[in-house]
Amino acid sequence: MIEFNDVSKIYPNGVIALEHINLKIDDGEFVFVVGASGAGKSTLMRLLLREEKVTGGTLRVGDYDLGTMPNYKIPYYRRQLGMVFQDFRLFEKKTIYENVAFAMRVIGEPSSVIKRRVPTILSIVGLVDKYKSFPTELSGGEQQRVALARALANNPRIIIADEPTANIDPKLKMEIMNLLVKINTKGKTVIVVTHEKNIVDQFQKRVVTIQEGHLVDDRVGGMFHEDV
Amino acid sequence: MKMYSIPYFFGQTFKGLWRNKLMALASVIVLFSCLVLMGSFVLLLYNVNVNIDSVVQLNEIVVIVDYKATDEEVQEISDSISKLGNIAEVTFISKEEGLESERSRYEEYSYLFNELTEDNPLPDVFTIRYKDNSEVPNLIYQLKQIPGVSKVNNRIDIANDIENIKNGISFVFIWFLAILFVVSIFVIINTIKLGVEMRNKEISAMRYIGATNFFITTPFVIEGAVIGLIASILAFIAERYLYEFVYSAIHENYSIITVIPFSQVSLVLGIAFLCVGVLAGVVGCRISLRRYMKI
Repeated sequence: MIEFNDVSKIYPNGVIALEHINLKIDDGEFVFVVGASGAGKSTLMRLLLREEKVTGGTLRVGDYDLGTMPNYKIPYYRRQLGMVFQDFRLFEKKTIYENVAFAMRVIGEPSSVIKRRVPTILSIVGLVDKYKSFPTELSGGEQQRVALARALANNPRIIIADEPTANIDPKLKMEIMNLLVKINTKGKTVIVVTHEKNIVDQFQKRVVTIQEGHLVDDRVGGMFHEDV
Repeated sequence: MKMYSIPYFFGQTFKGLWRNKLMALASVIVLFSCLVLMGSFVLLLYNVNVNIDSVVQLNEIVVIVDYKATDEEVQEISDSISKLGNIAEVTFISKEEGLESERSRYEEYSYLFNELTEDNPLPDVFTIRYKDNSEVPNLIYQLKQIPGVSKVNNRIDIANDIENIKNGISFVFIWFLAILFVVSIFVIINTIKLGVEMRNKEISAMRYIGATNFFITTPFVIEGAVIGLIASILAFIAERYLYEFVYSAIHENYSIITVIPFSQVSLVLGIAFLCVGVLAGVVGCRISLRRYMKI
């Protein structure tokens, strides 16, 4: 469970990025976080990744209190998260197989486990036959599927996707979203930060709207907030 | 650390070195040059000290016994000297031995000494080698207090001057070595920084998938150590040939100068090169990674 309890984030230069955010996301939920540029979505993600610390309130993810968690625990906490970025952030000099395997190697999985698990994950995202390719040889949609596979590699409890369809051909956007839904049906919590109205409206999931650092709307089966 | 991470770390290290080969080569060359310079200065310093020590050893105190002293009095002086501290060696030269020594020194005029056999003008003499230069004034004072001693000759001023020069040379050399070490570290810092900058995106992606600082930085640290290791091995080989060349040149032309054979210093020098090289690599690497250790 993810719990924002009166969370505020004020940067050292005085900019108030988030103020009095109260939000609870249960295990296995699918949530869209929407908002205009500069609304505070990115800060919310950075707090969840523990790139930034809350300056007010408490933020809990599972057993971790992110406000008081010591730095040395951060890598172990992040292993519970699977991150997907709009710019994919793949390792360009590694093959598709190596990209996924590397995520497992980072947490110290032995080669035998990696060899067994990587093909399974690649089959979930439909890229088994491209395991020898390099990211630059793939389309945007395929690269994002690799990023998803990498995010899934360590069997995280939560998938956080930051604008996952932003750099993808319109025809392939649904493909990525369907994959995220499929992952969600397997019990993972999925948080998608986006400003793409048609996607939010089509999937009819819980929508959390942030505006000028405040949570202005939170509804299940919601539509894209018209004011955003 | 898990054992199966080791091949990964070394694989990444050599990939990093290959990817960044020109800078790595530059680092090896600069560190190699610094090590050869350091080694040369240390060996020079060592040889200078050895030669100075041998000069200092020539300085001895000469105790001249009163010309009229009897054999018993000479024996008493000998006993008194042997009770003093800071004495390494005492040699007694009787007036007869002194005369013989002079006779053999001026062999062609030895007949002139025949007349002196009956009425030997030379005094009995004790030559004393001491242990500690700094305690010599005290020793001289004590020797002068012994009854029957007519004069005490010494060259302590020269010995002190030599000691001061030796300390001065050591001081300058040590500072020079420290500066060379710092220069080496800076070169390594730049090389590793370049490697880290090139992989900055990769490192940030590694953080998001839960890589620890240890996992991220270890290949770079090994990279620094390998640069140091290669530079130190090459520097040792170069130093050996350079030293042996200088050794044979000095040995053939200036036999008065003592030069320590390379075999006597090779082990210590090898270990020192290895330690300094690897240490410079690792320290340089740690400093350049400090900024990137932020979570």
